[in-house]
Amino acid sequence: MASNPAMSQTFFQRNRAYIYTALGLGLVGVLFVGVLMIMDWGYLIGYTIHVLTGGSVQGVLTPPDSSYQMMVNEAFGPAYKTIAPEIIRASNERQLFIWWVFVGEIVIFAVMYVLYGRKQATVTRPDDLVTVFTPFQRAVIWLNVFIIITLVLTGFNITWSLRSEGGMLPYLLRGTHEMTGVIWLPIWLLVSVMTFKDSPILRKNSSFRFFLPGHYKPMKRVVWFFFVAMGAGLLLSGILLWYLHPDAFTHAQFIQFKRALLYLHFGASVLIMFFLLDFVYSVTVAVKGNLKYLVCGKFPREHLEQLDPEVLEDLKGAGRA
Amino acid sequence: MGRVKFYCDEGRCIDCGGCVVACKEAHEVPVGVNRRRVVTINEGIEGREVSLSVACMHCADAPCQQVCPTDCFYIRADGIVLHDKEKCIGCGYCLYACPFGAPQFPQNGAFGTKGKMDKCTFCAGGPEETHSEAEFHAYGQNRIAEGKVPMCAAMCSTKALLAGDSDEVSSIFLTRVASKGKGTPKAPYGWDKAYGK
Repeated sequence: MASNPAMSQTFFQRNRAYIYTALGLGLVGVLFVGVLMIMDWGYLIGYTIHVLTGGSVQGVLTPPDSSYQMMVNEAFGPAYKTIAPEIIRASNERQLFIWWVFVGEIVIFAVMYVLYGRKQATVTRPDDLVTVFTPFQRAVIWLNVFIIITLVLTGFNITWSLRSEGGMLPYLLRGTHEMTGVIWLPIWLLVSVMTFKDSPILRKNSSFRFFLPGHYKPMKRVVWFFFVAMGAGLLLSGILLWYLHPDAFTHAQFIQFKRALLYLHFGASVLIMFFLLDFVYSVTVAVKGNLKYLVCGKFPREHLEQLDPEVLEDLKGAGRA
Repeated sequence: MGRVKFYCDEGRCIDCGGCVVACKEAHEVPVGVNRRRVVTINEGIEGREVSLSVACMHCADAPCQQVCPTDCFYIRADGIVLHDKEKCIGCGYCLYACPFGAPQFPQNGAFGTKGKMDKCTFCAGGPEETHSEAEFHAYGQNRIAEGKVPMCAAMCSTKALLAGDSDEVSSIFLTRVASKGKGTPKAPYGWDKAYGK
């Protein structure tokens, strides 16, 4: 009896992509939460439970014990320093030090490049092409790329506007960030379909099955899952931040909720940036030719045979290769 | 004159809204933007109803200034916290940072996006030339340059809302507390956050 290769692998070998991701995020999480952040986690957890269990979003977790506290809650909102104090108090520090996160990531990619180099298929028949992506699929993929680039640049425009010193152009870019985020929602939904294409329910449906042919390898699946999960966080928080526009008289009711949303938005943007860069590296740097083929949607048959045989198998099954 | 302060005596404020109207009228503040507001608790409960007029407190260690990514805020020698609308990009960070909900954003951007931030200037105008058309259009009147107190305090019928030199305001506050003759004086609302203990 032939042994199943997947079964012959140890638990660690099968799941090492997830284990490495969990360990890496755990380490970064411990460093940030335990050492670098000053937020009141007890309050945030209590606040989240309070909101989820039907409490108001105002942030008053315990009834006021004096008319003074009641007035503070009604006029200013409670506990203003508890959620997102880093965002509130460390704007300039963030602008100065966040570059190091990217430096660290580039170092990781440089090490990977040195260790693994760049995959390249030997193509002897460049005219033997297989259509992998239809025009609609390419439209979704490239629209997603352009929207993400716009969101990243306009988002950095807000975070690092100490360098631009403000003015009309950064002001317009800030508005562009908000509107582009809203436009991203339907594209993100389609990207979510791509992410879960290997799930049994979607796999049975032929229209989903060939949206992206082939199966994800664990490392790539992690990247896509994080993209969708963090995208959900960004969209939820971003659209609510944009939509909720407290005026002077509703300020105290909503400001704590907006602070929590802002924290979610910042956290999700940091995490999605890591996996975005990871994705860009794996698609454009780690494998030569992907970018060019993604523009026209057609890949040389030999490229698929050597580097993505599962994609070719799927396309053959559908009569497209 | 040292630094300036606002003080609202909750024992005197009757929620008439005169300060709000005076501010909007004096500075031609657009609809939807309120540099000042009046908050009332225990409304209708006899003996327990308390009102407070709230605006930018011109904090000593202004969080809005610290958080602004474009550095558009500046604090005058007399402690008045002002901002430059030419630099403001309407990001809203100051709104998250402010303990008093002072920053206001008109929804006059494209597709209802936020416009540039507006807030109480203590009637001290802005960085434009004093008494110029540009200064009035962006920030409203500059009454401080004329030696007057802010419009809201000037118009307060019960003199609940006071604005002026910190020592003078503190002295009036202590006199009022002493005249009541009971209890330990609590610092006025917001002073702990705005000016420290």
